[in-house]
Amino acid sequence: MDAKERYYWDLTGHLVVRNVLSQDEIDEVTHALDSVSQGIREGRPGRGSQGSDALDGAPARWYSGENLLNLPHPHCEPFRKLLAHPQVVSRLNVMCGSGFRLDHGPQYNNALPGAEGLTLHGQGEPHGEWVAYHHQNGKPYCGGVTVTWNFTDCPEGQGGFAAVPGSHKSKFRMPRGVRMCDDDMGAVVNPDIRAGDALFFMDGAQTHGSFPWRNSWERKSVLYKYASRTSCRTGVASQISAPEVYWDAATVADMTDEERAVMYGPCSSPRSDGPYLTVAEDGVVTLKNPEAGR
Amino acid sequence: MNTERHQVSDKEMYVFDTRGYLVVRGALSLTEVDEANAALNAKMDQAVTLDAGSLSGGAEKLGGVTGRTQLSRMLGWEPKYRAPFRRLLVHPVVVSRLNAFTGRGFRLDHGPLLISGRKGAEGHRLHGAGEPFSQSVWYHQQNGRIFCRGITVAWQLADCGPGDGGFVIVPGSHKTREPTPDGVRTLDDDMGLVEQPVMAAGDVLFFAETATHGTLPWTADHERRSVLYKYAARGAARAVGKHFTPEERFGAWTNELTAEQQAVLYGPGVHHGGRLPLLESDGETAWVSNQPK
Repeated sequence: MDAKERYYWDLTGHLVVRNVLSQDEIDEVTHALDSVSQGIREGRPGRGSQGSDALDGAPARWYSGENLLNLPHPHCEPFRKLLAHPQVVSRLNVMCGSGFRLDHGPQYNNALPGAEGLTLHGQGEPHGEWVAYHHQNGKPYCGGVTVTWNFTDCPEGQGGFAAVPGSHKSKFRMPRGVRMCDDDMGAVVNPDIRAGDALFFMDGAQTHGSFPWRNSWERKSVLYKYASRTSCRTGVASQISAPEVYWDAATVADMTDEERAVMYGPCSSPRSDGPYLTVAEDGVVTLKNPEAGR
Repeated sequence: MNTERHQVSDKEMYVFDTRGYLVVRGALSLTEVDEANAALNAKMDQAVTLDAGSLSGGAEKLGGVTGRTQLSRMLGWEPKYRAPFRRLLVHPVVVSRLNAFTGRGFRLDHGPLLISGRKGAEGHRLHGAGEPFSQSVWYHQQNGRIFCRGITVAWQLADCGPGDGGFVIVPGSHKTREPTPDGVRTLDDDMGLVEQPVMAAGDVLFFAETATHGTLPWTADHERRSVLYKYAARGAARAVGKHFTPEERFGAWTNELTAEQQAVLYGPGVHHGGRLPLLESDGETAWVSNQPK
């Protein structure tokens, strides 16, 4: 990762690395993606656009089948090659720091012509400690970085990944018009990305989403959700974070609900509306929102 | 009942943000202190005393005739012994401060750990600092809110009087952007920056793990007793837990992967004892650069 890339990354919150994959590699992945097309489901109408006219379109499509890394051979193989691709390792060692890890994914994003977009999400305010961006003495750090491999072209302004450059450093909340893209103040970009390019973006720190797909061909992108060595978002973590799974049995045996609440393994999801403890004026500690998902 | 102790105050927010630590006085009654000490007394045969030199790291001013004594796993003891330590786990003084210093959903990352020692027990070389940046315990303040990813709560079960030794800290060091001089870490030339908070049994200490901290040799006639609970923000990991390797997290299919592919499937955390493979790349090839244990 050279000085120009570091500058661009620090300034904008995303980076497109061109022509990382050859046509043969693109074809290999595309063939594997075609093999799992039966696992693609159409989402609820408006799920992504949330009522935004600017993002409106046909229902989005989501792949929800077997993890792409664990598909039957040979289809798993191209996804495994991308997992620790040299072009990824060299950049994530700088972006996240040594010891970065796959937090969740890979996630297959598919869209047909006319598919709706996704409202923008992620920002510098409020601060999300598990994905936040920091820069100190010449070294960048980001808790969550997504690498999107693109297998079809996404011309500028024609849909797909959209972001607010610089938003990872904002200390103000995102205006609703930016989130819905109906009054974005010119802050939102939809960069040109071509098949074989790799997009890096600060997932959760940078404000991002997607524009409606305005191309005559399908969108085919695969997202690898990486995290720093000490950040934990979801994926496997959400399956093993329960106290009885995360700790040995004796440590958590017969704990009260309030005691269990601080014994979960690391996992950022669910967020502020998840279970949490409060203290009344008389000193009684109470678990709030106990049913919220953990 | 002193209800003020159950709520964090603006003054406490200021002190913690400015200095990186906070002592809440009299959080436990003497009866509660006695109860915790009695449970420890019943289990001290399981305590371990480290070798002298293991923590002082050759620093002359931190040396002692023995290493420190420590004991853990209190939360899993038989009910009558574990009860006092489970009460401390979500004590209202803790919950109110950690909601403010770390954020809702804070969690116990590891511990509790009793740190003990008799007169002559060595100190601990000072560690932690704002520079270089340490992601696992990052201290951040934004728009009136504190986000401290790693915070330790140290319950005092014995007095730490002036000159007794024990916990020391460099106030404000959680925000420094300059490297810590070695003389501060060893106390050979601390420039007057190192402070030993005076605490009584029943007090509770909160400190940002980012702050430069350590231990002075214990000089008092009575035994040192401090029980440390290591908390973290909900999305932060220091300990690696039981599910660390790719196979433990994802299943046996990961054994088909190359060492480089496996390297990015390990679980979060930094206390891995050298088991984590680290990757390097020149852009053309990626390889494991260390030899994990």
